[in-house]
Amino acid sequence: MHPILLSRRSLFFYLVVWIPLAETAIVMLSLAGHFSSKESVALSLPLTLGLAVICLSPFYMCRAMPFDRTPIWRLLGTTLLAAMAASGLVLATVNLTASEFDRVLPGLARRAAPVMPLMALVCVLIYLLSVGLHYAGLAIESSRRAELLARDAELKALKAQINPHFLFNSLNSISALTSIDPARAREMCIHLSDFLRTSLRLGERLSIPFAADLELARTYLSVEKVRFGSRLRVSEEIDPACADCDIPPLLLQPLVENSIKHGIANLVEGGEIRMSAHRNGKGMQFVIDNPFDPEAKENPDSGIGLKNVRDRLATRFGAAGKIEISVEQSQFRVTLSLPCEHGRSI
Amino acid sequence: MGAIRAVIVDDEELARHLLREYLRPEQDIEIVAECGNGFEGVRAANELSPNLMFLDVQMPKLDGLEVLDLIDREIAVIFVTAYDQYAMKAFDAAAVDYLLKPFSQDRFRAALDRARRRLAEKQKMPDPVELKAAASPPGQYAQRVVVKDGARIHIIPAEKLEYAEAQDDYVALHSEKKSWLKQLSMTNLESTLDPARFVRVHRSYLLNVDKIVKIEPYTKDTRLAVLMDGTQIPISRAGYTRLKELMDID
Repeated sequence: MHPILLSRRSLFFYLVVWIPLAETAIVMLSLAGHFSSKESVALSLPLTLGLAVICLSPFYMCRAMPFDRTPIWRLLGTTLLAAMAASGLVLATVNLTASEFDRVLPGLARRAAPVMPLMALVCVLIYLLSVGLHYAGLAIESSRRAELLARDAELKALKAQINPHFLFNSLNSISALTSIDPARAREMCIHLSDFLRTSLRLGERLSIPFAADLELARTYLSVEKVRFGSRLRVSEEIDPACADCDIPPLLLQPLVENSIKHGIANLVEGGEIRMSAHRNGKGMQFVIDNPFDPEAKENPDSGIGLKNVRDRLATRFGAAGKIEISVEQSQFRVTLSLPCEHGRSI
Repeated sequence: MGAIRAVIVDDEELARHLLREYLRPEQDIEIVAECGNGFEGVRAANELSPNLMFLDVQMPKLDGLEVLDLIDREIAVIFVTAYDQYAMKAFDAAAVDYLLKPFSQDRFRAALDRARRRLAEKQKMPDPVELKAAASPPGQYAQRVVVKDGARIHIIPAEKLEYAEAQDDYVALHSEKKSWLKQLSMTNLESTLDPARFVRVHRSYLLNVDKIVKIEPYTKDTRLAVLMDGTQIPISRAGYTRLKELMDID
């Protein structure tokens, strides 16, 4: 349904806009067309009312033919055709009412015939204007939605960040360490605080250098290393040239968390998480892989973290940001490809 | 009362360490085994005849609930978990107690006291299978069935389970031309599996509908389901009604 029809208020304002147009039509007809004032009203009212109704219809056409994804000839052709059809419909209504009024205002339909071509032109022009306004409205709407989506993805990412399992398990490790190894307990408190503080601080930003996000993922890993002990091993191969590529914050940590939750944590002997990053042309690639147990029970929430990363890449880089997932025997691999932008860190 | 024989099952070394430390002042409790995964936990439970088990829920290979499924003797279970809203509900009903990580020594002692009381009263412990059913999240069905095969543990993914057949106190689970016996009632098995895939086609048969090749008439009221390998499973009249409903046939 057309958004204007959704509330009485907007419908009221929409109709109010047509009052000056109706008045203009009345004045023009009586001054230039030599119609009496009654005759001008009898012609103008159906004209403006008809236009008011028909000018809502481009909404559906504009939605079906996105401006930037429709060939120009199709766009022009369909719009012109629709404008002419609309104009024909409105004039037919005007004609019909004019002959209805024949008894009160004799000969109105006949005398109105010469001004019909002019009216038709006005109708076409107003219809085209309405199409333009609809496209403008849709563009505003879609940019607002993209912004909302982006903010939503940020919020979700932040929420996923502070996973209660992670927090409670870490606190339990600290509780155990206080008597065995107080120094390590303190160290873990510091890692955990670092991680929480940094994710809150970075999460507010739109972009951060790759190096900063990697550092955050490392802090996360250092907390988990205390908990998993020798079961969690990490190796890195990071090209320093990637350090200052700008990426959305907290992009890497969910991938690391995923590797632990669905990989290492399900393996009795644990395994190695391998991270690598390198530049290629104008972009960069980040690869993380981990072993997993193909027989492990699937978590009902598996895939949420990856979907989140995919959404955030898409909102930020569009088609240029890609996430690929591959599974080879018992090795799980995620590859991020994204353009390397500079100077957007704010 | 003799010493309480306790088993600790948790995949995290530090978590086990903490339990050990909390247990040190308790004179009447002897730790007979510490297990780093579910398999070891099941073996310890069945071989060392413990009467108390500290059981983590999230572990590699077998999770805590599956461990329960494979223990065939009465045992007081105290769940130790970081966070599990579903399990918590069940603990209230069935387990001796549950400890949410991290927990204090006082809280730990309270759980131990409950266990001691239960063991002293010789109160009947809840059946591990019932405990497991109560602790499983609602609306979520088992993706696999675990069975004991002598000393070994076998995992049958639900999609590979062809049918189950009731045999006295057991069910025979048929999968990939082999069969395993599990001490379980057909009704209990049926309730843990996805009803969109498994249908009770007969009082004694639970059938995976994905494995049916064709259905043939047999006697006046009964039919036979033919599986891929030619096995024939009887379908009762009531079973056929349930099957029709699910497969949307007339």
